[in-house]
Parts: sequence; C-alpha cells; structure tokens
Amino acid sequence: MKRILALVLALALLATLTTVFADDGFVDGKFTETRHITVEIFNRNNDGGTDPTNNVWTDFIKQGMLEKYNVEVEFVSVGRWTEVDDLNNLLAIGDAPDICYTYSAPTILNYAGMGGVIDLAPYLEEYGDQLGDLKALIGEENLFYDKDPATGTVYMLQGAMPNNGRITTFIRKDWLDKLGLAEPTTTEQFHDALVAFRDNAETLLGADADKMVPYSTSTDIGWRNDLMSISFVPDDVTDETLFVYGYDDRHLLYPNYKEGIRQLNAWYNEGLVWKDFALYSDSTEEDNMMKAGYVGAFMHNWDYPFRNGEDSIAANLVRNVGEDAMYVPIDCFQNDAGITRKFLGSVVGSDRKTFLPATCEEPLAALLYINFISSADTIKYLQTGLEGTNFELTADGAYQILPATGEWVKNSGNNIDYTMTVNGLYLGEATDASTALSYPGIPADIVIQANAYSKTNGRIVKHFNVGTIVAENDVGTSLTSKRDALLTKAVTASVEDFDAEFDAGMADYLASGGQAIIDERIEKLAEVYGIQVEK
Amino acid sequence: MLQGERTTKQADAYRLRNKKMGFSWKTYLKRYWTLYLLLVLPIAFFIIFRYTPMAYILLAFKKNNILQPPWQVAWAKDNGFEWFIKAFNDKNFIDALRNTIVLNLLDLIVGTPMPIIMAILLNELAYPRFKRITQTVLYLPHFLSWVIISSITLRLFATNDGLINRAFGTAIPFVGTENNWRATYIMLGIWKECGWNTIIYLAALTAISPELYEAAEVDGAGRLRKIWHVTLPGIRSTIIVLLIMNLGHILGSEFDRPFTLSNPLVEGASKTISIFVYERGIQGSQFSLSTAVGLFQSLVCVIFLLLSNWLAKKFGERGVW
Repeated sequence: MKRILALVLALALLATLTTVFADDGFVDGKFTETRHITVEIFNRNNDGGTDPTNNVWTDFIKQGMLEKYNVEVEFVSVGRWTEVDDLNNLLAIGDAPDICYTYSAPTILNYAGMGGVIDLAPYLEEYGDQLGDLKALIGEENLFYDKDPATGTVYMLQGAMPNNGRITTFIRKDWLDKLGLAEPTTTEQFHDALVAFRDNAETLLGADADKMVPYSTSTDIGWRNDLMSISFVPDDVTDETLFVYGYDDRHLLYPNYKEGIRQLNAWYNEGLVWKDFALYSDSTEEDNMMKAGYVGAFMHNWDYPFRNGEDSIAANLVRNVGEDAMYVPIDCFQNDAGITRKFLGSVVGSDRKTFLPATCEEPLAALLYINFISSADTIKYLQTGLEGTNFELTADGAYQILPATGEWVKNSGNNIDYTMTVNGLYLGEATDASTALSYPGIPADIVIQANAYSKTNGRIVKHFNVGTIVAENDVGTSLTSKRDALLTKAVTASVEDFDAEFDAGMADYLASGGQAIIDERIEKLAEVYGIQVEK
Repeated sequence: MLQGERTTKQADAYRLRNKKMGFSWKTYLKRYWTLYLLLVLPIAFFIIFRYTPMAYILLAFKKNNILQPPWQVAWAKDNGFEWFIKAFNDKNFIDALRNTIVLNLLDLIVGTPMPIIMAILLNELAYPRFKRITQTVLYLPHFLSWVIISSITLRLFATNDGLINRAFGTAIPFVGTENNWRATYIMLGIWKECGWNTIIYLAALTAISPELYEAAEVDGAGRLRKIWHVTLPGIRSTIIVLLIMNLGHILGSEFDRPFTLSNPLVEGASKTISIFVYERGIQGSQFSLSTAVGLFQSLVCVIFLLLSNWLAKKFGERGVW
C-alpha cells in the first residue's frame, strides 16, 4: 500500500513539474513569474571605484530588466585581468554566472567541447523575434556568426566594436619643427626623421642626449610595428589566403611579413630603435621614457598617448618637457600599391563574445538580458549617465564626458564592462564628436585625426565560417609567446644573422602548432567553401 | 630530526615492552589526548589538501573535461596514456624538460657548496656581534619575492640602460643571451637563498663537540686543518641529507623565478615545466595534459629521491629514512 502511495505521489509530482516546464510562463514578451539570472561583470578594482555588482548602473539594469521582462538580475564579479582563469574555476565547480562574456573564443569552444556550454541555435530560432535590439546592434545576419557549418550549433554571440581602429603611428611634432622637418608621409621620410632624431640628440635632449630613443617598440612587435610590417604584404593578396594565414591577430603569417621585420632589424642596427626593449615585459619603462620626452616616435593603439587623463603620456610630456611637446598622429607606411593599408577587425566578430554555460537554467531570460543590454537606449544611458554629473551636452550635440566621482563613477571607460555586447562609444550620430571629447586636455582634431588614420585604407578580411579549428584549441598562449620571442630575436640580431634567426624562429613556431593550424584552415576552407588555397 | 631519531631496533624494543605491559592505543589516547588533539589540525590539512586532491590525478588518464568529476569522465585514448604520449611528442615539453634539468643541475652543482662555505666562514668569525649582524643581512634577500628581484635585476643588468653597463661603458648582455642568462639566473638564486640555507649548517656546526677542536689544536692543527678534519666531517651527514632532498627536486620547478626573470630573447633557456604547465593548463584549459606532466614530474622526483637515499646508505651514511 505504502509503495503504491509513493508511486502515485511521485507521478503527481512529475506531472506538476512537467506542466510547470511545458508552460514557460512567457506571455507577450514578459515572464508571468519572476525569473532569476546571474550575470558576469568584470572587476577592475579601481581606486575610488564602486562595487561592480552593486551600484547606480546595476540598479538601472536590474530595474529595467524587472520592468521589461520580469527578470531579477544578480551580478557576479570576475577579475578583469584574470577573466579566463576565473571563468575556468567557476565553470569547473558549476558555479559560473548564467551569462558569461570573454574575449577568448577558444575558452568557450573548449568548454563547449566538454559539454559545458548551451547551444543557442534552437533558442535563437524560436525566440529570434524577441531579440530586436540585439539584431539592430550586431546585424541580423551576425546572430548566427558562429554557427558550426557541420553541426549547426551556436555556442556564442559576438559583440560589436563600433570603432574598429587599431593602430596609429605617433611622432614628436616639436622635434620635427625644431629640426625643420615636415610630418613624414612615406616610409623613407619616416626613416629620415628617425635618423635626424638620432643625429641631433644633443640639440633635442641636451644633457640627456644618451637617453635618446628615436623609435621605441616593445616585445609585442607584432602590434607595435604592425603598420610597417604589413606595408610589405602584397596588396592583391586574396581574402582566402589571408584567412588561411590569419590565425595570428598580429599578422605574423601574412605573406612577405618577414620583410617588414627585416626593415625594423636594419633600423635597430642603425641605432634607431630602443636598444633594450627586449628585456622589459611590461610597459611601465617605455611609458616613462615617453613621458620624460626621450622617445621620438612609436606605433601603438590609436589613442595610446591620450589615455588616462591627467596621467596620460601627452599630459606628462607637457609637464616634463614644455607646452609645445606633443605626439601627433601620422600615416606613412605605403604598400606596393602605394596606399597606407591597415588590416582591421570586423565591427562584429572580433571583440567580446557572450555565452551561456550549461548550468544556466534560464536560457530565455538570459537571451532577453542580452537583448536588453544591447538596446540603444540602455547603451546610451550606461555610456553617458547623468547629465551634469557624468556629461555635458555641447552645442553640436556631442557628449562631453565629465570625470565623475562617488557613486556615479564608472569603473570602466564608458561602462564598457556593463555594455557587454558593445565595446566602445555607441551613441549614434554623436559618437565621433563625443569620442574626440573623451580625452580631456587633448585637442579634438588630433584625436579625430589619430582615429581616422588608424582606419585609413582599412581592409577587413572576409569572415569564413568553417567551424572550430581544432588545432587552435591547445596552443593559443604558447604560440603567442613563441611569436614574441621569434620577432624579438630577429629584430635584435645583427643584419647578417637576421635570416637565420627569423627562419629558425619561424620553423619553431610552425613546428609548435602553427603549421597544423594553417593545414586545418586550408582543409576546412576547401571542405566548407570549396576554395583551394596553395600552401 | 637526526638527533632525536630512533633506530628501528629501538622502536621494536619499545613496542615489545609496551605489549608486555598491556598498553594499548587507548591508554595512550587517554594519557596524551591533548597531544593527539594538537595533531588533528595538521592531519586534517594533509587529508584535505594533500590526499583528497590525489583523486584528481585520474585526470591524467582521462579525457580532458573538468566539468565532471574525474571518475565519471571517459578514459583517454591509448589505454589512458594519450596525454603522456602527447607530451613526449610535443617539442615544447621536451624543451621545457631540458631547461628544467639544466637549470636545476646548475643550481645543484653551483648552489650546494655555497651555503656550506658561507656557514663555515660565519662559524670562523670571532666577534659575535659582527657575526650576528652579518647573518641577519645574509638572510634578508630570502624575504624578497622574485618579482621584486627581477625588476632590480633589470635596473642593474640591462644590456644598455643597466646601471652596471652604464657605469663601465659596456654593453654586456647579462640577461640577453641564453648562456649569460643561465649564469645570472644561478647567481641570483645563490644571492637570494645562500644566506638562508646556512641556517641548517650553522645548527649542525654547533653540535660539533668543542673537545674535537681542542684535541686538534693540541695536535697542532691550524684553522684550515681544523675545518678540513673536524668541521666538514662533523656536518657531512647534514650535507648529504640536504643533497638528497635537493636531488628529489631535480625535475621539480619553481614558477616565479624563471617566469619573472625571463624575456623573449632567452625563452629557449627559461621555459621550464612549470611555465609549460601554466601556459597549457591554466591559460589553455588543457587540464589533462598538465596533470599528466605534473604526475610525470612527481614520479621522476620520487625515483630520484629513492635512488639517492639508497646510494647514501650504500656509502655508509644514514640517509633520510
């Protein structure tokens, strides 16, 4: 009797459970019962910052989600600089937030391979019409950006990076003026300017002449010399070839890349490049040299000298050297077609990625959150904030961002950590003008120019969706350090040894997994698109 | 550890006596319960942090999946040895293995005699206050982290901007070529740990009976003779025990030291197993591979430990156990 009763009760329980799950309680775009989700947020531990999981911005998001979808939101903080390690830990103990984002696609695919990530495809199919704001932001076609051509699975949603400028070259305008030189517009003129800096160290630096660094770089040569390196890549190279040889985001494997490094090696041996760059693994030393006014020219993120307000390189330079000391952007490295080529990431697909771990019990609520956070109004509020406290509107409708303190402080620039699907200002027509105003103390036209140069003659390599390249999963970080080692050694070698160093390093890079990636990309490209690329 | 150690024979005798007198473990527990209570914490520590994690060694033989407990994951290919085979086919692992052995051997060869020499020198110092101050100063570097030391190193030894090269107008790449880097690496290790490592030797030195020195003096021995015939034999067993322990670490590798001192020019010499494990395991989520490598490392260490202990006993020393 007892047993039968137990069976009946169990069945009854099961029946109620099924009805609960069958009716997802989602009526007219809103849950009938309050749902609860957890969301990842970067923690930057900034001085004077607020608790990233509980502040005026999270209040805004929580309230918005509750009103719009009846979903309760809770934030879980993850270290900004240890994001992958932290996510690894959280995923491993089954405690990851319901919505995670990271810059690292291999991390997501790795977990997907272990069964740890939700396949979004069925949800996107079924609830696609609920995701209007997300579609408007990243484009409807990009919803399935990562759909595996073989299995049809979608493990992540790509975010947008509206301003996809990467790198610009900067040079000391006051030094050029002092020596009667014009801003360089060709590689040769750039070289001449560096030689002039070197030869006139006494004039430019006086007692500190021995500290002169005409051109500085870092061990991340792939980034810090990119524009010069890729100016040797033939202009007529096809997208297919660039895809096959495009694993490394520093373009290391692009055709003829070696010649750009050879030129840097020659300059190094002419005494034009910072001699000890190879020994310093962080940027403090080099930044300090720039701030002290010893560096003539460098290539870096397009806004590098303008960042950090009062502590920016530009501001320090003025303080240490004088009013007229400044870095100006130039654009001078022509390729064989005579244009200053830049290889840019696509606006969608080359920045952050969002995914739902398998432990997420509310995939729909999570998707709705992603939609909510992608809406233009949400983004605008989070990026600008409170008028008078966080920004002032200028006469031409641009947002002049004010340095807020206290509870209205933003832990990340423009709150990019909260706007997880968009990285960078996204304010419609006001974007460019507002960007120019977001670097206090820097003339707007210089900021605009630096950004424009970083995108002049930009080329975005077509996206070939060939599914997961298995060979890329294991080797990521070790190939990155191999690349840096090979480039650093090649640049610091003597001119005679350059070929030997570069070739040996490249052979090592390829043997350590680089070749396997190229081969798999060729194979998959042929398989999915039927395109053959020569090895 | 050495002085208080009983031989097995003595222990057997104790046990026999206790049995005769009818002592059981309960009697001991009752009498010394406070001592046993004190033991609970360390034992709990070992169980929780040393023995329980051992279950996860299984990962080395399983498919790469940390989302499930290792006993639920399927076995890896090649009878579970997939990751070991993969590691030994991986050029990066072989390089890391070589670098680890080279650096540790150099450390052992150059690093072992240094604290002994230093301890003897300190022992010979006549003026106690000077001795004490010297000792304290020698211990200080031990308390600096490698992160700090590495940045001091760059300030001093950078090829062109370093203080030393600037002072002498030279451009010696102290940390810029692989061989120089190895030398700098070893020297820094000695500088940091030498003073600290003298502690054990100094303790052993105090145990040498002063009568022996007096007797040697009567026989007309000078300072050097005394060191050679009294001091060194007196600390011989300590030297051998420490050597055995160090041999046990021949494949073990520190992380901070090579990681912070390295730069891209010398990666060929500085990538040790610990860095390989960090890059593949923690950064690349290859948990099975890095567990396999870690297991291999431990295994070799245990073999070396057993071997050197056996050798020590063979040569008439006491060994570690």
